[in-house]
Amino acid sequence: MLFLEEKILEFARLLRKGGVNVSVTQVIAAIQAAAAVGLAKEDFYTALLSTLIVDQMDQPLFDKLFRLYFFSLESSVFEKHTDHNEQETDGATAALQLVDSIEGTGMGRGAGATPYLLLVKAVRETNYPLLRKLGKMGIESLGDLEQGAVAEIDKLVDQAKVAIGWYQAVNTLEKIRVQEKVSEIRYCKWLDCLSFLEKYMESLLEDLLVRKFGSMILEEIALAANIREKEFFRLDQLEIQEIRKQITKMARKLASRYARRYRRAKHGKIDLRRTIKNAMINGGTPIRLKYRRRVISKPELVLLCDVSGSVAVFSEFMLQLVYTIQNRFSHIRSFLFVNTVDEVTEYFTNNSIEEALDKAFAKARYAMSPFSDYGRVFRQFEKEYLPTFSPQSTLIILGDARNNYRHDERDSLQRIGEQVRKILWFNPQPQEEWNTEDSIIGIYAPYCRQVFECRNLKQLEEVTEAIL
Amino acid sequence: MFQSREELEKKLAEHHYLIDRNVATVVYLAVKLQKPLLVEGPAGVGKTELAKALAAATGSRLIRLQCYEGLDEAKALYEWNYQKQLLCLQLKQNQNKSWHEAKDDIFTREFLLRRPILDALESTEPVVLLIDEVDKSDEEFESFLLEILSDYQITIPELGTIKAKSVPLTVLTSNNFRDFGDALKRRCVHLYLDYPTFERELEIIKLKVPGINQLLSQQLVSFVQLLRKQNIKKPPSIAETIDWARSLLTLSVSRIDADIVQSTLSILLKYQSDIDQILPRIPSLLPED
Repeated sequence: MLFLEEKILEFARLLRKGGVNVSVTQVIAAIQAAAAVGLAKEDFYTALLSTLIVDQMDQPLFDKLFRLYFFSLESSVFEKHTDHNEQETDGATAALQLVDSIEGTGMGRGAGATPYLLLVKAVRETNYPLLRKLGKMGIESLGDLEQGAVAEIDKLVDQAKVAIGWYQAVNTLEKIRVQEKVSEIRYCKWLDCLSFLEKYMESLLEDLLVRKFGSMILEEIALAANIREKEFFRLDQLEIQEIRKQITKMARKLASRYARRYRRAKHGKIDLRRTIKNAMINGGTPIRLKYRRRVISKPELVLLCDVSGSVAVFSEFMLQLVYTIQNRFSHIRSFLFVNTVDEVTEYFTNNSIEEALDKAFAKARYAMSPFSDYGRVFRQFEKEYLPTFSPQSTLIILGDARNNYRHDERDSLQRIGEQVRKILWFNPQPQEEWNTEDSIIGIYAPYCRQVFECRNLKQLEEVTEAIL
Repeated sequence: MFQSREELEKKLAEHHYLIDRNVATVVYLAVKLQKPLLVEGPAGVGKTELAKALAAATGSRLIRLQCYEGLDEAKALYEWNYQKQLLCLQLKQNQNKSWHEAKDDIFTREFLLRRPILDALESTEPVVLLIDEVDKSDEEFESFLLEILSDYQITIPELGTIKAKSVPLTVLTSNNFRDFGDALKRRCVHLYLDYPTFERELEIIKLKVPGINQLLSQQLVSFVQLLRKQNIKKPPSIAETIDWARSLLTLSVSRIDADIVQSTLSILLKYQSDIDQILPRIPSLLPED
């Protein structure tokens, strides 16, 4: 039993590396749970998952680490035989299927030379064994792997995709879809196949690396998968979606805290009318005092968002967050800019947040070139919009202050600062890089009440909790 | 309560609640480790039903506490019955009792109004305590739950600590509407209930809508499963699949086609924007033969 306890402890440590908060109580529960259900693969997995993971967002990471730690790692004597079995049956069916497919109809000619036709065939027939076989082919084509490969898993998977003609195959499938008027139900199955293959190749590659280099690599994989502390511009599409969900939940948490403060107060001024009314129940004795609600000031908020290149994702998150809790503010106005600024407030009035974001990014005129120009934007902002703000409003600027070596126009920002209550600046660039190259955050900082580093989900959460 | 996972699966099935192996494992763990079970998942996958089925399967009483914003300890734990205390004091006014005697008289269990949680802890028969939609309550209430969920006890200042006579099987459900405290989550065993697989949903339909033919049930389940993959506001829940199956049966439909789906789509989709989005695409979403 001791052996198992150690394994679970080490696994918990690995999860923590990946940014999952695992407490000692949870580890104890996990050990008890594992003892209660036994060591069959599926049950053991369920036992650990239900005790160690408290947030749905962490499950993909858990799945990955669980697989790698308990099944791929060389030192893991624990379930080696199962893994072995699985591989064997896997290989057998795949080989069988391949023979089948080559002997079979239609695809025989040319299939050997161009794997992309095989891939098209596999997807059209939703032939999973063949897909697996192709995945293995792709990964094998990468040749010998270096230890540094772990940092470039995405790139390597892409190379493997090219090797089996992925992009050609996807194009061909799209053509077939139009030509043969493929129904959506079938097309959905195709997409399932493709995403399965992508995931399968990634997991094969990780397996390979872990087998070769051992637990060191495992830690690196865990660290790389920590989306709470991953820089916004490094996130891939799936992770962005995950974070969107997370932001919605976070926003509702902030909003409910606000609602609580808005309810009847437990202290403060006595509400005589309600107290007396309530006293009637007790024959005129005011046993319980009732208090008046506190009035809470609702600030006016102005968001000025840089949406150039690497900052765009961050700006989008912030807009989503702020508009989810819009009842917290008396009024929100939002502006997008790259080198020219445009107001996008109207898009958010009658649309869902996703629609509004799409429309704002598609319709607003915020860029005449892809390079941001803070100086020009501040000047234009001051001239066109500043007179319409109340002196009570808070201006939040989202951006990395990388000005492409143009004129800074600090006076303009100073005048803006004098007109509004305060300026806050959220900078998604790592603090080490501030004021290097073309970043001039140091020049603007004196005119802002505070400048925050806000490069990942964790920091965004901290900053918004402190500010809003 | 249950000796093994298999027994649990069987007993729940007897009460018309079908569960997968991994779900059964988690529920079994919650029972075995005597920890509360926190069930999360999209609306309409049977989170509340699970608690009801558990109560039925174990022959226990179900005590349900529905959470909402503003729920406080007076409505969830206990409250002193002021009116009754007042009445009692008035009756005893002429008896010339000392303050101590009077105080001891009115702060007794007789004047305590039991709310669901205290009720569950004090119960002598086995109970299942269902705390529904915890994510709708506010942060303060979460903190109240901590003492109850980790030690199964309540401290009432005038009476002292009340410990549970027997540990109630506690089920908390959440729609994941908002994030709630880690402290609460850590005390629980977690279960994520997702939409059922094709095979499972088929079984559920057969169980709940007896008399439906094989082909129709397969067609309708695969259509619903595909709908859930579309990008819509409110994907159809299991309850809606069952309703749809019942309606089709009532209309004596033997197989589905575009017309019948078009005229009954409002049973599955509850938002006009969802209906508008799906309606023109129905022919290509229908299962092929």
